[in-house]
Amino acid sequence: MMKIEAIEVKNLSKHFFPSMKERKRIRMQQEGSEKGTKNNIIQAVNNINFSVKQGEIFGFLGPNGAGKTTTIRMLTGVLKPTNGSISIYGGNIWKHPIEVKQILGHVPEEANVYMDLTGMQNLYLIGKLYGLSKSERVNRAEQLLKQFELFEKGNLKAKKYSKGMKQRLLLCMALMSNPKILFLDEPTSGLDVKSSRIIKKLIKEYNENGMTIFITTHDMDVANELCHRIAIINQGKIISLDTPDNLKKLTQEYLAIDCHFIDTVNVNEIKELHSIIEVQQNNSLYHIIVKDINVALIELVDFIKTNDLNVKQVSTNEPKLEDAFLKIIERGVEN
Amino acid sequence: MRISKEVFGVKGSKKLGLTVQLRRAAAIAQKDLRIYYNKPPVIVQGIIFPVILFFTFTIGRKIPTPLLISGLMAMVIFLTATSIGPFVFPWETMRKTFERLITCPVSVKTILFGSMLSSFLFGVIFSLVPLVLGIIFFSLQITINFLIILIAMFLAAFVFSSFSLILSAPPTDMPGNIMIFTLLLKFTILFLSPLFMPIRDHPLAWISPLTYFVDIVNVSLGLESAFGHYGILIDFAILSFFGVFFLFLAFMLHKKTLQKRFRN
Repeated sequence: MMKIEAIEVKNLSKHFFPSMKERKRIRMQQEGSEKGTKNNIIQAVNNINFSVKQGEIFGFLGPNGAGKTTTIRMLTGVLKPTNGSISIYGGNIWKHPIEVKQILGHVPEEANVYMDLTGMQNLYLIGKLYGLSKSERVNRAEQLLKQFELFEKGNLKAKKYSKGMKQRLLLCMALMSNPKILFLDEPTSGLDVKSSRIIKKLIKEYNENGMTIFITTHDMDVANELCHRIAIINQGKIISLDTPDNLKKLTQEYLAIDCHFIDTVNVNEIKELHSIIEVQQNNSLYHIIVKDINVALIELVDFIKTNDLNVKQVSTNEPKLEDAFLKIIERGVEN
Repeated sequence: MRISKEVFGVKGSKKLGLTVQLRRAAAIAQKDLRIYYNKPPVIVQGIIFPVILFFTFTIGRKIPTPLLISGLMAMVIFLTATSIGPFVFPWETMRKTFERLITCPVSVKTILFGSMLSSFLFGVIFSLVPLVLGIIFFSLQITINFLIILIAMFLAAFVFSSFSLILSAPPTDMPGNIMIFTLLLKFTILFLSPLFMPIRDHPLAWISPLTYFVDIVNVSLGLESAFGHYGILIDFAILSFFGVFFLFLAFMLHKKTLQKRFRN
């Protein structure tokens, strides 16, 4: 199935010349430190190469400011690359923008729906801009609003929608023209469970029907659950590209202990234990990456006894994609 | 590199011609009219502003009727066609809806043309108010040449809506930043225009595009042209030149500043 290259990116770079404000900030940072360069250029994306196959869900992960949104903006024809080429089904988005954009759908990071238009009017507008006939517009808008559980609110102005509803409306707008490639920039960021579930379910469904999906996300569960392959970008460079399973294998020599403490525990105190590699805290849950599970468990029990801590639950697990992500980013920074 | 007909579709490529882009521009204009113009305060202002101006310059002043009507129509068409347009792009840049438009299969010229179309319609509709008041209070229908005045209104609305595109070119996402710049340019043009006075009495009148609109309205109301026997033809030619020049300049400036809108 996955044979044709839907997206092919070669030597793609984007740099920005800093604004006056940014130049001032850079100068202040450089004062007293190393000798400053005269031509400070912000290198948002630095010579990246990758391809996305037709029918694939391709994840693009990276920390804040890594270059994810800049890349998606170049792929969708918003930002012009400084160097390199982007091919969408063999078409160049800068040479044939209208034809290429006709087969793309885009859900940006920020909910940029027209707040003073109703959900239905937002969809009709997009339908018109993609050249759908009146009957196509009406049918498609109704179908999408029903699919995304917004039909009842279709005649309400978008400013009255919750964040989750706006995000679902954005997805409807992107799917209005039934695109061949869908770009999603942080589609589930900050959403309620219901909206997040609906979005994930429908992304899967559309992909099963042949749609290629390019997704950037911070949510490792979303990436793990949906993506066929994942590229990890840091400081403008792709530092890893593989399937989620292969990425997780990078941390296979490690195991994880998930520990639910009733008491509050200082993360740094756990980190000081000999066999502990990394600790991530999420409320009362401590996700602890260890090298030798037996030694770590003994050390942890000692630590609990010594500090007279109350524990709700302890379990051992395989490392998650998040662990692999952090490891790759850390390795990238070291390199 | 040629694009694959199989993927992008022969039918689709054929459909992406001028008429399709014009239809898409009309959709953008409709969106602008709904979001920015079809607001009670904007409509009320659009009606009240010319009415107030009409009575301000009528009561207690002895301005000849043709000069009064031409001056009012020029002021109203200029100020309404440039009232909202300059703020649409900064506003949409701020709300990131401009980015949404750019990712759609429409050219930048289509987006600009759509925005211009909404300013054009707004200008034409509200410049009718002083004309209607003139007909009611001064029985202008007896002397007026409706055909000339309508063509002049359309042409002037085209000129000033193109001018409003120029005002919207700075790539700011703060509508307030545009306001000072817009006011400065608009009042300079008003200062250079021979409103409510004979054109020949204003030494710098030839610079302003409003002058030529005023002259056409004067002629359509029975006065002689300030530019001689073929004056009205000169007026139409110069107004058309201003329209095309402003439009060309607006396209050029927006092309230059477009990428800066997506800096953040």
